[in-house]
Amino acid sequence: MKGVSLLIILTTIGALFGCKPKIEVPEASMGDVNAAKFIAIGTNNTGGYSNDALNYTGQQYNYAAILATQFSMVTEIGFKQPLVASGSVGVNTNGQSALKLGYKTDCKGVTSLSPIRIGASGDLTQFNSVAGQGPFNNLGVPELSALDLNTAGYGNSANGAGNYNAYFSRFASNEATASVLSDALAQNPTFFTFMVGDFDILTYAKSGGTSGPIPPASGSEGVGFDGSINAAISALTGNGARGVIANIPDVTKYPYFTTIPYNGLTLDADKAETLNAIYNPLGISFVVGENAFTIDDPSEPFGVRKMVEGELVLLSVPLDSVKCFGMGSAFPLRDEFVLTLDEIAELQTKTDEYNAVLLTTSQTYGLGFANVKALLAGLNNGIVYNGVSMSSTFVSGGAFSLDGIQLNPNGQALLANLFIEAINTSYRARIPFANVNAYSGIIFP
Amino acid sequence: MKKLIFSLLLLPTIGFSQGFQVNFQGQTQQGMGGAGSAYAQDAAILFFNPGGAAFQHGNEISVGLTPTFSKITFLEDNTNISANTNSPMGTPFTAYGLFEIKEESRLKLGMAIYTPFGSTVQWEDDWVGRFAITRLQLLSIFFQPTVSVRITDKIGLGAGFVYSYGKVNLQKDLPLQDAEGNYGSAELSGTGNGFGFNLGLYAQPTEHVNVGVTYRSQVNMKLQEGNADFTVPSSLEDNFPDGAFTSSIPLPSVFTLAIAVKPNDKLTIAFDGNYVDWNSYDTLAFDYENNTSSLEDTKSARNYVSSISARLGGEYKFTEKITARLGFAYAISPVQNGYVTPETPDNNRFNYTTGVGYKLNDKLVFNASFLFTQVKRKDTNLETGLSGQFKTHVFAPGFAITYKL
Repeated sequence: MKGVSLLIILTTIGALFGCKPKIEVPEASMGDVNAAKFIAIGTNNTGGYSNDALNYTGQQYNYAAILATQFSMVTEIGFKQPLVASGSVGVNTNGQSALKLGYKTDCKGVTSLSPIRIGASGDLTQFNSVAGQGPFNNLGVPELSALDLNTAGYGNSANGAGNYNAYFSRFASNEATASVLSDALAQNPTFFTFMVGDFDILTYAKSGGTSGPIPPASGSEGVGFDGSINAAISALTGNGARGVIANIPDVTKYPYFTTIPYNGLTLDADKAETLNAIYNPLGISFVVGENAFTIDDPSEPFGVRKMVEGELVLLSVPLDSVKCFGMGSAFPLRDEFVLTLDEIAELQTKTDEYNAVLLTTSQTYGLGFANVKALLAGLNNGIVYNGVSMSSTFVSGGAFSLDGIQLNPNGQALLANLFIEAINTSYRARIPFANVNAYSGIIFP
Repeated sequence: MKKLIFSLLLLPTIGFSQGFQVNFQGQTQQGMGGAGSAYAQDAAILFFNPGGAAFQHGNEISVGLTPTFSKITFLEDNTNISANTNSPMGTPFTAYGLFEIKEESRLKLGMAIYTPFGSTVQWEDDWVGRFAITRLQLLSIFFQPTVSVRITDKIGLGAGFVYSYGKVNLQKDLPLQDAEGNYGSAELSGTGNGFGFNLGLYAQPTEHVNVGVTYRSQVNMKLQEGNADFTVPSSLEDNFPDGAFTSSIPLPSVFTLAIAVKPNDKLTIAFDGNYVDWNSYDTLAFDYENNTSSLEDTKSARNYVSSISARLGGEYKFTEKITARLGFAYAISPVQNGYVTPETPDNNRFNYTTGVGYKLNDKLVFNASFLFTQVKRKDTNLETGLSGQFKTHVFAPGFAITYKL
């Protein structure tokens, strides 16, 4: 039995020596950043709007909240948000609840996975004011225009429907007098993130270019983008606060605009023949197989034409009407469902002009700069994060929420890491990055 | 839905630097840094140099076991999150039998059975690399019937046929979450086999010097009837059909030049140099029987490069009964930057070994050895993006009993 006792001895030695190898963790540091009073100013992604509604999960896992979590690993900070109730189905200004992935049967009787509303209607009680719990660190306001940053009474419901922002109304310190900026300045921030302007671009894009012109890049505060941004940043940095300014991505690459192909009209011989009978006299013809959708275009002799490559169909288009009732074929798609080449060019021009303002402002005030445009461009090509592929593809891309415009928690964590990178670069900080995969992506039934 | 990238697998595994090569074999060689292809002192020579087997006297049976304790720690670069493995103890074993047809014959027959890889790497739950791999279990057993002939008093030639049988089970989490927050997972398992050979030339030009030249061929392990088992949210079950898959892994050929010097009756110094042709491992491919838009066949670049290793060991006979050994080895990793994976965070490494032998009588000998190695590697994997530092400790105490008939 000598062998057995020898084995026991050697095994014991092995177990004793087999302790965990140690790797020294680099020391974290906030560098030149004082995050004692961290304020986040922004629009939908900041305010926790996702799955097409303001909802609790979106608020819990927006990039500002994730940033605060990462800050708290290095320094003690407080971060308060104007949260909706945790069990709420969420709400948007159309009175709808948030989306989830579920089963939906289309006009042809085909059941498939599709975004559906969680509740029959939105939880309107969540628009009731929670200002009493404030002041809040996260001042992200869905649908905030850059021009309204310093609009007093921006949340004043007394102005009547359509003339106030209900998302701000619910947490403004004083509904009648407060602006987003004044509520920020009242807290004397020491550090801020600033992600504004994207909704001005999106308003135009989401409406298929029917919303009226995008606010001009230059003009005084409340009139033009540069004046409004400059006034806000000047005020925010007045007390020596540091911060990071984000730029605006190419919104036309969001899944909301890229999911339905311009040539998604698939025809069999019968249908092609029927459509040719209608359209050939107008000089428009169809073939068996893939065809471009038809759209309204007043500049054409007959007010209708086929879409061309590069033009975009919006996710707001009623798909059943397209599949079963001739929308996009016999009945052209209305302007509100389409971005034409001219409209796309306008979006890109304005985005570039806004981004030039944002970059210059960050340089003028010596602030960090988060290149969200580059991040989203990377996502368009697809990225791999610790074994997980993510892209801008609708649902399966895993970074956007089910509305195709706002990010889901995975995407928000990517955004948070972009801000951390900017802070670490600009302020000699060493803040650990968030583990993107620890946050949820799309939830499948 | 999500495209799966099975960046999984496989070689070399922990504790077996360069996988196939420094596997745990004879305890006497293990105590000497793994050198011994020119030093025929027991039946383990069947593995190290079949040509040396013919220089052994009499019949011999030897069995050994090397409990292997390996721990890996990973520190993710960006998040500063660390993770550890909870791998169970590895139990590589060896059995050698050496027989002569009649006494003092020039011909020897042998059988070597060994487990050149046979370990489990188990990462802790929910670790940062969970979508790359969570667990890899490899079990393999090689059977090598061998013929060895002493063609002159100074030269021996040997040849072994290798049949290998292996089992693999690998698991990873899938980034597909259900309403309860549970992630999906994939489990690929299967068995495979392969064939190869082991050739050796052993020479004793003088009383004090032995030399050896050996060539162990590539063994292509083919996984024919693998089974892929996916756990995913119910709405995605059609996208991830359970079913068969095939794959294969080439275990590289090894060419060895060895020398052993005996300045006197008590001392032996042995040196082995190996050239390992890892170039054959350039791609790891999985071919699924049931492909869907979510489950496509995969090809992952491995791009291993051929490498060398050197082993040096010494043995000193204190008395007729007691022998002590010391050795070390240096192995250059075949894994290039950008290709380091959590199941094999390999790098250039030193192995430190020691051992003792106790000869109870002319029939019974006990040998024990101890190996320690530490491996550090920092890398960003090109396929998964996993970026950070790995640190591995391996402790392997082993022992063997040899019985001479």
